[in-house]
Amino acid sequence: MTVSAAVSEELALALYGQMVRIQAWEQRLMRMMGEGQVAPGFYHPGRGHEAVAAGACEPLREADYIMYDHRGCGQQLAKGLPLSQAFGDLLENVAGSTRGLGAGIVHMASPKLGILGQSGTLGGAFPIAAGAAFSAHYRGSDQVCICFFGEGASNRGTFHEAANFASVWKLPVIWLCENNGWAISTSVERSTATGGVSQRAAAYGMPGEVVDGRDVFAVHGVVAAAVERARRGEGPTLIEARLQRLRGHFMGDPEPYRAKFEGATRDENDPIVRCAALLQAEYGCGEEQLARIQSVAEAEVEDAAKVALAAALPGPERLMEGLYA
Amino acid sequence: MSESTRELTFSEAIREALAEEMERDEMVMLMGQDVGAFGGVFGVTAGLHDRFGDKRVVDTPISETLMVGGGVGAAITGLRPVVELQFADFIGVAMDEIYLKAAKWRYMHGGLFEVPLVLRLPEGAVGGAGPEQSQCPEAMLWNVPGIYVVIPSSPADAKGLLKSAIRDQNPVAFFEHKGLYNTRGPVPEGEHLVPLGKADVRREGSDVTVIAWSNFVGHALSAAERLASEGVSVEVVDPRGLRPLDTETILASVAKTGRLVFAHEAPRTGGPASEVAAIVAEQALADLAAPIERVAAPDVPLPQSSHLERVYLPGVDDVIAAVRRTLQA
Repeated sequence: MTVSAAVSEELALALYGQMVRIQAWEQRLMRMMGEGQVAPGFYHPGRGHEAVAAGACEPLREADYIMYDHRGCGQQLAKGLPLSQAFGDLLENVAGSTRGLGAGIVHMASPKLGILGQSGTLGGAFPIAAGAAFSAHYRGSDQVCICFFGEGASNRGTFHEAANFASVWKLPVIWLCENNGWAISTSVERSTATGGVSQRAAAYGMPGEVVDGRDVFAVHGVVAAAVERARRGEGPTLIEARLQRLRGHFMGDPEPYRAKFEGATRDENDPIVRCAALLQAEYGCGEEQLARIQSVAEAEVEDAAKVALAAALPGPERLMEGLYA
Repeated sequence: MSESTRELTFSEAIREALAEEMERDEMVMLMGQDVGAFGGVFGVTAGLHDRFGDKRVVDTPISETLMVGGGVGAAITGLRPVVELQFADFIGVAMDEIYLKAAKWRYMHGGLFEVPLVLRLPEGAVGGAGPEQSQCPEAMLWNVPGIYVVIPSSPADAKGLLKSAIRDQNPVAFFEHKGLYNTRGPVPEGEHLVPLGKADVRREGSDVTVIAWSNFVGHALSAAERLASEGVSVEVVDPRGLRPLDTETILASVAKTGRLVFAHEAPRTGGPASEVAAIVAEQALADLAAPIERVAAPDVPLPQSSHLERVYLPGVDDVIAAVRRTLQA
């Protein structure tokens, strides 16, 4: 593990703090599930994916877009979605970003923050991301769009259609694949020719990068470069972040199909533990400072949980609202 | 509002609507296969690329999911894309993008987005185009709340409905019968807007109501003309689409005549008429003096053979026969 000179202490601490915040939010959500306040079945935990969420969203501006994926609560929190809204959506109450529609992991959104929503059909996001990037280009704005997806979704034909068009038009989109090796129970070796995704970039004339998705500094560096490239009008980049899912595909997934942690220790696969070690070794941070970051995050999460837990379920009128503009 | 009209073809009326809306609002742009300098496979967008350039008239690759899904992405971020699929049948290729994205993006994200997207969908049989390039698939969208379904039957409506569709904040599937492209009719100049969801009583009558869509509005008018010489007074109602649906005008006509014939080129089962017949059964059964009749294509795929296509397609005679059956009941 080496530290990129580009990562200042301030940035390093911010990235770490964001990951801790995302993890604390998810831990609090688990408690809500344990207490029967949130149904666990459709939740796809993001544990192990925090470095990609935090590292990729940090270089973005508020007006930039993201298309998050099913493991993407952390991506939205890193883009600025208030913690209470994310809780509210999973609690299906009016504190949520969708005011009680029950957006859960799938359909949270915030147009103001550029969180454009999610496609419940995996891979449905690719054309939409290309369209949003086309729109940014058309309007002459310097907005960019990050499209998050898993290696499983990369096998949809929509990836080809969207990636091809985005490259033809040099659109400001970053295709960010989180390759955790498993599409639910199907391994990448069984699903994906060549075992990776980054190589496909060559077919579309864009750079293809592989990055250790457990290393938040590395993710930040490669995404920041891609974002700058996109803003300069030089077109899309495909980034494959390799990482491990630290929990099952969904809550309650017994995971009979894989060995725990794929040969590494849990700590080696945990982006937060890895980052903490770096902060101590390379930046001289003490245990106390890290503990403070943790407690600040937990306090913020608890405040947000309070707000969300106090909110009401929507009335039946919510069902018929908002279909047409 | 303009006073003067002139004769235009259906295609010219669509082109005029596109040009006027592009002129009016810089966020309106076109995309689709060959819609650029080539002018579209049916020539509808001819000249628009010259006038508005590469950026606003975009030739896409053969990538329907990109065209429609990209249209959704562009629409939720400030553009007003008008996407031409080469054939309406190709909604099947982009069904995820229509069924689950265009129609649902707003609702499922809590009403936070608007999706001002128009899909231009050339439909219908024109002689030998075969089972995958000749259908009238609009009724597939009956069951897809969240997307409007608009179907013009005359050049004036093609212009006025398309302009309204482009200005609407909701996604609109706009079906254009290919057989109508070269038909002519009076079209108002300039600002001619026809509201979405307002049926048009194309001919008033007192004995039988014919509710017809698309090219069958013309067939129904021809049938009404011939039946008039036999002393039968036919009212022809064009709903101008499926959603929004003007049930008020439809029910008023049924209440007046007590006899109802539907006419469309789509197959009978699950066709445009099915749902309207259900509405009439629910709300106006007592008004009916005779069973409802449907003129529609048979429940088989449209054959590739142009000879068998002629056998397959219903026409004016079928409408006349159906009207007579309602009078004999």
